[in-house]
Amino acid sequence: MDQGSSLNVAVVGAGLIGIDLLTKIKRSGLLDCGLVVARDDQARGLRSAAALGCRTAGGGVRSLAAGRQGFDIVFDASNAVSHAEHWEYLETLGALVIDLTPSMVGHMVAPTVNGADALVHRNVSLISCGGQASIPVLHALARRYSPSYIEVVTTAASVSVGRATRLNLDEYVETTQAAIRAFTGVADVKVMVNISPAEPPATFRVAISLAGDDFDLGVMRRDVATAAAEVRAFAAGFDIAACGVIEGKAFIAAEVKASAGLIPRYAGNLDIINSAAIVVAERYAAGRVPRERP
Amino acid sequence: MNQGTRESAEHARPVMIHDPTLRDGHHAVRHQLGRDQLRRYAAAADAARVPVVEIGHGNGLGASSLQVGRAALADGEMLTVVREQLSHSKMGVFMLPGWGTSRDLKEAIGHGADVVRIGAHCTEGDTTERHLNFLRDAGVEAHGVLLMSHMAAPGRLAEECRQLVGFGASAVGIFDSSGHYLPADVGERIAAIAAAVDVPVIFHGHNNLGMAVANSVAAARAGAKIIDGCARGFGAGAGNAQLEVLVPVLERSGFSTGIDLYALLDAADLAERELMPRPPTIDSVSVVSGLAGVFSGFKSRVLDIASRERVDPRDVFFELGRRQAVAGQEDLIVDVAMELSGREIKWPGPGKSEGARDRRVRRGFE
Repeated sequence: MDQGSSLNVAVVGAGLIGIDLLTKIKRSGLLDCGLVVARDDQARGLRSAAALGCRTAGGGVRSLAAGRQGFDIVFDASNAVSHAEHWEYLETLGALVIDLTPSMVGHMVAPTVNGADALVHRNVSLISCGGQASIPVLHALARRYSPSYIEVVTTAASVSVGRATRLNLDEYVETTQAAIRAFTGVADVKVMVNISPAEPPATFRVAISLAGDDFDLGVMRRDVATAAAEVRAFAAGFDIAACGVIEGKAFIAAEVKASAGLIPRYAGNLDIINSAAIVVAERYAAGRVPRERP
Repeated sequence: MNQGTRESAEHARPVMIHDPTLRDGHHAVRHQLGRDQLRRYAAAADAARVPVVEIGHGNGLGASSLQVGRAALADGEMLTVVREQLSHSKMGVFMLPGWGTSRDLKEAIGHGADVVRIGAHCTEGDTTERHLNFLRDAGVEAHGVLLMSHMAAPGRLAEECRQLVGFGASAVGIFDSSGHYLPADVGERIAAIAAAVDVPVIFHGHNNLGMAVANSVAAARAGAKIIDGCARGFGAGAGNAQLEVLVPVLERSGFSTGIDLYALLDAADLAERELMPRPPTIDSVSVVSGLAGVFSGFKSRVLDIASRERVDPRDVFFELGRRQAVAGQEDLIVDVAMELSGREIKWPGPGKSEGARDRRVRRGFE
């Protein structure tokens, strides 16, 4: 890739999400990772980042200013509590900020639903892995039906859930609920999180239930299939495992396998939010970088 | 304790009885207890000087849902009703991070909860850090408890408990959520935990294999200081350690509970009359769920779905055990039942499993 035509990006946070994101950035033709920063206690993650060939710094988000060149995009893969503080500082740098923590600070984006919004907001929130896996389906169904209640239960393999996520379960639940309300217009929403220690590890799964309308199975399956196909365009391992109407309630289970990279197949939770981050960043890059004429 | 069960009372070792009848019992009645039921049992338990009366949805604060069943009353309503009845007993609540949030904890404390238990699957204790920290800072008595504890070895449970103490738990322990243990299993685990921590150790027994009281005595002998029991065993599946049996058996075994026997028996009679269609029994499905090591709270849902799909609920439980389902994964029941019925709602899709690749790349997390 010609150095001049790709955007210079930085990653804040070197946990499970940050490192998988870095591998995806390295595969992108439109993004170059200039720096990975973390707090000093994530030294192990920084070593992984260095092993992937990326420059690293251990002094936290303020290390971003030390480089000679500015960054076009900063991905925040730290934690929800830190993000608000990071944003205060990042806002002054002028980069597009893509937040992978469930902080509820930025403008919430699900790429297949409102991806274009990322072109006009400076802080884009990717909600949560459960939000990315459920909102495309819920948005499609909410356009056709008027459910009175939506429930989403996510289950991720224990080994794929890092420390920041474990500390951020409250934010994960509340931010995902807020996003589902915003994208569907349904007020009564409940989100729950399971962490499974099963061996071999369980594939990331999102169980979705909707109540309060007359769901037609055939129509629902078509809508769900269309939404799933759109998501697969950027997260190839997204699949519908079950779709039915049970006792008058719609039930859809989506499973997400990681489709490429260094992470195991079951870690679809990492894959879907990082794939969403890449597609948002690449769309932004495409708008910024003049295309080479044929 | 009164009425002649005391043996050498001056040497009796104290254990604290924790009574989750109005929380765990909810599993047996699809979380449908009403105000009068809560009020009457809470008053009776208080009269018997039961130290802690725990209440709420069976899966804890914030858990009312389609996934595990919606409660008849909101958490706040239950707490308000019970609080008014308790003058001696403390009021306890239970919460699983990921199911409830700090918002639910604040609400419960606002309603006068004295003891808050934060639970996690037995290998995931670090999900409780935020909430135990919060309770410590708020000055609320906080217990850290590990669910489905048969799924981890004694050393791991001890390590997890030590971590819970570090987060701020003033008591820690294990739940036999599947009713899978035999007494020797319990003794070994409680001894390992008691050696690792300097706070009281908790044991919570289920009765799928008829061992709940025996396991609780084994726990007390191994050093547990807080033992859970429910009136008539009111609880998920085969039920819990039966409180009005547990207390006199502990007293005869050389432990003191401070509970009044006749008043406790009255509370248990009231519970049978007022709270449950029938007392829990170890039916065939409950034996299988205990053997399979599956959370007893799955029972009502498994029976419903197995009957709808015309499959044997025992097969469903064994398959859930094989998949190592943990509490909260009730959404798997439909998948398992449909798979067994051959009426899968799975779609053919891209990306079938690639076991060899998974084994190769899992090293990335180790």
